[in-house]
Amino acid sequence: MRNSTPSLKKDMRLMPEYTILLIWLIFSIITIGWIFLASFSTTREIFTNNLLKSGIHFLNYWKALVTQNVARYFLNSAIYTCTSSIGILLVSAPAAYILGRFEFKGRKMVINTFLVTMSIPTVMIIIPIFAVMTSLKLIGSMFTLIILYIVSNVPFTVYFLTSFFSTLPKELEDAAAIDGCSPYKTFWSIILPLAQNGIITVGIFNFMSVWNEYFMALIFANKTELRPLGVGLQAIVQSMRSIGDYAGLFAAVVIVFLPTFILYLILSGRIISGITGGAVKG
Amino acid sequence: MKPKRTFIIVFLAPAVLSFLLFFFYPLIRTIIMSLYFVKGVADNPALWKFVGFNNFINLFHSQLFRQSLLNIFKIWFLGGIVTIFFAMLFAGILTSGIRHKAFWRSLIYLPNTISAVALATMWIQFVFSNQDFGLFKAFFRFIGIQALADIQWTEPNFIFTSMLIAYCFGSVGYFMLILQAGIERIPVEFYEASRLEGAGIIKQFTRITLPLIRDVFRTCIVLWSIAALNFFVWSQMFSPNPDPNTITPVYYLFSVVFGSSMGTDSNFVNVGAGAAVGVILTVLVIVIYGAVNLVIPERKLEY
Repeated sequence: MRNSTPSLKKDMRLMPEYTILLIWLIFSIITIGWIFLASFSTTREIFTNNLLKSGIHFLNYWKALVTQNVARYFLNSAIYTCTSSIGILLVSAPAAYILGRFEFKGRKMVINTFLVTMSIPTVMIIIPIFAVMTSLKLIGSMFTLIILYIVSNVPFTVYFLTSFFSTLPKELEDAAAIDGCSPYKTFWSIILPLAQNGIITVGIFNFMSVWNEYFMALIFANKTELRPLGVGLQAIVQSMRSIGDYAGLFAAVVIVFLPTFILYLILSGRIISGITGGAVKG
Repeated sequence: MKPKRTFIIVFLAPAVLSFLLFFFYPLIRTIIMSLYFVKGVADNPALWKFVGFNNFINLFHSQLFRQSLLNIFKIWFLGGIVTIFFAMLFAGILTSGIRHKAFWRSLIYLPNTISAVALATMWIQFVFSNQDFGLFKAFFRFIGIQALADIQWTEPNFIFTSMLIAYCFGSVGYFMLILQAGIERIPVEFYEASRLEGAGIIKQFTRITLPLIRDVFRTCIVLWSIAALNFFVWSQMFSPNPDPNTITPVYYLFSVVFGSSMGTDSNFVNVGAGAAVGVILTVLVIVIYGAVNLVIPERKLEY
């Protein structure tokens, strides 16, 4: 099974493997490609199998962005995602630093608590938070969803970064202390720069999961001005389907799909190492 | 080094406080709420009416809720077998020495990076579409299998299968990554030695790979189970209104607590019933953890 040096003879032996991969590739290209082309066609062309026959229609995108508010949803998604990705790191990194590098009473308990928290179904915390946020009059502001995105991603991020911090050389703090560096300064100007890799990896990971989050957004972003892309798209799909504007529907799909797709094209190596690093250690 | 106490507290406080405020408190409140009849989500606890275990009893009497449990069982069991099988297959392919491994790996993981709403729309409006441009319809007609081309993928008798196919397709990549990382930690010498002894691929797989990745396998089962219990987006995308064919407990909870009318279901407008659904799911998580620990006990292997 495991073997690393490719050769022509081996390529022949691996024909079945390549065939399976090719089927997957062709399926992906046809699906994404067709939707991409359909998003530039007219609805009539889609139904008569004549994609792009009358040229490229950017109007579909214009309609989706302006008439269907996708531009607004896009901006909302960007706000939710950027603010909470930073917030998650601000809360998690210091905690993970302590848990990964210092011995103290109760350390194991804190780590285990975060681990258990990761498997609690989200629905268990949604109802009370909705009630509390309503009584605080915070339903109807972006703040609620941002807070929720931060707290719901903290356990995984702490867990991921804890193991990352613990792999850095043990002597760093001692050396810094001898030089008269305070623990806060040590963390900020010595440890954080060294931990850049792990922080960026988990940051990208959080970015994608917040960008694609749907359930909480559906509950807490209950009007147009608050909706992120996912929830907005769902509403658009329903309305475009009923008025039969399939070209516009596919344009909206492309707008939602593109940002994470491009991010993934550029950063797939990092994203993948983040997932395997996070999951296999456990 | 012995760190200062205040330093530890300052650094841990935000994470621990967020846990206490946004996990611990809501968790306890949901558990208590499941024993009450609650009319509005935002109702003050003074308005709650204690009903003991009635919420749970009503849930298990509700046809729709029982159906939702059956559905996630099917998603968990059938979907789990299909997904883990294909994940294993692709992990095996990726570690077999093929060219451009990184490209193929990124390709198969791709669906995981797309918003589920966009992905589900692609499946429903293009791949499963009953229109002439529907991918499956066009493909099966092209290769001349009319019976398959005639399948109405999004009609009631096929909608669950369609949903499961689309969901599994999107999940394979994630589990493939985890399994592949596990396989790659196995020293190559094991395979070389076994080849010299005359072991074939199947034997290598069952005697070397499987036993050595059992901990990774365990992680996969736990992760898959949690995902299946929380199943929601796909169900809502395939059926914008709750439909017995695709409903799941979280969807049921969503409708009872936040949303659309459930027809004659007696749990409608009882937030307590929603809380009870959450408690049932949490109990199921614990049961699954227990079962996995029993069947595949953790065993740290050194190699």
